[in-house]
Amino acid sequence: MSATEVANKTTAVSVQNVRKFYQRDTMQIKVLDGLNLEVPQGEFLALMGPSGSGKTTLLNLIAGIDRATSGRVLVAGTELGTLSEGQLAKWRSRNVGFIFQFYNLIPVLNALENVELPLLLSPLSKRERRERAMTALRIVGLADRSKHYPGQLSGGQEQRVAIARAVVTDPTVLVADEPTGDLDHQSAEEILDLMQTFNKEFGKTIVMVTHDPRAAARAHVQRHLDKGVLTN
Amino acid sequence: MKFAPLILKHLRKNWLRTLSTVLAMAVCIFLICTLQTVVDAVNYGLHLGNASRLVTRHYVSLVFNLPNSYKNKIAAIPGVQNTTIVNWFGGMYRGDMKYFFPNMAVEPEAFLQIYPEIMLPEDQKQAWFHDGRGCIVGRKLAEKWSWKVGDHFQLESFIPPYRVGKPFDFIVDGIYDTDTVKYPGTDLSAMYFNYKYLYEATGQRAGIGTLTLLIDDPKNAGRISKAIDAEFENSDVQTKTETEQAFRASFIAMAGNLALLLNGIGLAVAFTILLVTANTMSIAVRERQQEIGVLKTLGFPSGLVMALVLIEALLLGLMGGALGLILAGGAIHALPNVPFIGDVVRQFPGLGLSPRIVSYGLGAALLLGLWLAWCRRCWRIAPV
Repeated sequence: MSATEVANKTTAVSVQNVRKFYQRDTMQIKVLDGLNLEVPQGEFLALMGPSGSGKTTLLNLIAGIDRATSGRVLVAGTELGTLSEGQLAKWRSRNVGFIFQFYNLIPVLNALENVELPLLLSPLSKRERRERAMTALRIVGLADRSKHYPGQLSGGQEQRVAIARAVVTDPTVLVADEPTGDLDHQSAEEILDLMQTFNKEFGKTIVMVTHDPRAAARAHVQRHLDKGVLTN
Repeated sequence: MKFAPLILKHLRKNWLRTLSTVLAMAVCIFLICTLQTVVDAVNYGLHLGNASRLVTRHYVSLVFNLPNSYKNKIAAIPGVQNTTIVNWFGGMYRGDMKYFFPNMAVEPEAFLQIYPEIMLPEDQKQAWFHDGRGCIVGRKLAEKWSWKVGDHFQLESFIPPYRVGKPFDFIVDGIYDTDTVKYPGTDLSAMYFNYKYLYEATGQRAGIGTLTLLIDDPKNAGRISKAIDAEFENSDVQTKTETEQAFRASFIAMAGNLALLLNGIGLAVAFTILLVTANTMSIAVRERQQEIGVLKTLGFPSGLVMALVLIEALLLGLMGGALGLILAGGAIHALPNVPFIGDVVRQFPGLGLSPRIVSYGLGAALLLGLWLAWCRRCWRIAPV
């Protein structure tokens, strides 16, 4: 085990006294202020709060997209602050699955190719990649749409493809930023069902940012952020 | 290789944009290569003039003739070894300009002495010297029209003094070749006939269009030129004498500074196309920013994303460059057969896509590709 892999194995995410500032010209904007958070493995956490409260910033820190100004962020035993940009990218490809509000599928790739995309960074053969991607699509119920392009799918179907893409590498943590924000009620319910399935049946740790109380109600734990501080 | 489908899919999906970008690049490369080839050929042709040959013509313009009496006076000037009249006849084959080929009235014996690059078998030479209506044709011209020695054909000039109410009848007395290594500038698509025939058929109205002189030493060219022009300085018809190289240059310069003109037009068009391409690319860039951000978020290293974007842009450049070069090659191949233009460009032995021009074209295409990649500025795009 390396020096950075120091966290408790049962803790998936550990955020310790994290501060995050953005510099705008001469002004320093405080986004997170000494924040602490522990997410055990297999937990489904919903982060709520008003716009500008720092939810997405915290999610980005956990996902290794952004870096804290101070404090430590440990995910799956790795302290992210010690990794270089290249190491961080590699770490993300193995440990984090992303679910975006607007799906962010690659429009020129069909559903199967979109799901296969993260696997291109793995040493798997083409056949293995295809098999895994197909399995993921089957789990999200879109095996029959594997050759369809994002433009040929509904919003709910696109989000399901995005979820398949997020889980295809079997990541430690799934991070979801407003996953139902762009969906109608029915589709949103389906997506939340799916996320619950991955949490319960596959033991995936999920950190979800949402404004939607019904989405948050599906999580085990709800935490509220306001002005960069967890209020509950 | 596993990323190749990702690149190709992007190129294929927006096929209309890909096609228009490739075509825009191809037109740029086509223009650059074609114009540069012509300019190179012109410059090469200019340097091929024989330093021992001078050309005397009317001081004002090639349109006006010199009196025939000038020939003997010029021949008498010290240093002048031989002279031949060379008159542009402007004869149209089958009465149509689209069949035009260069045809000149010359003095056969002197002409062959002054132009050793025109190579004829001795029996054909003698036949031409003694045949008033005889002519010699270049090998390429003979092959084009399937002419053999002894064949007849007619030409009708478009130049008013040479229009005599009926076509001139010619007999092919010889088919000339050349040593392309020793004399690379020799035009094998031309026809030469006896000046006497022209002189007599026009009722002795034909003057001297140009008089080509063979001089004793190229070093004396300046002195002899000055002496000739000084001889006629106070006469009604003044002369202009210059080296064959300078004559060729001035002949080409009749259309202005050809190189500047060609390059100017080419660069202006190429620049305009580039601006249009830049506009198209800026739209594409906006579309792709999100996608590049997603790839980085998913864990694609910045270097890999950069490489994918670069390869895609370079592929576009390469396709545009290859198409441009093919078009340029086709145009340059076809140029000698284009009426009028063909007659001019056939004079340039260096006409052809040289490896240097090809490398220019491909280099320019790859630079365009790099520029497209730079437009996307993917290194600045952060994960979403």
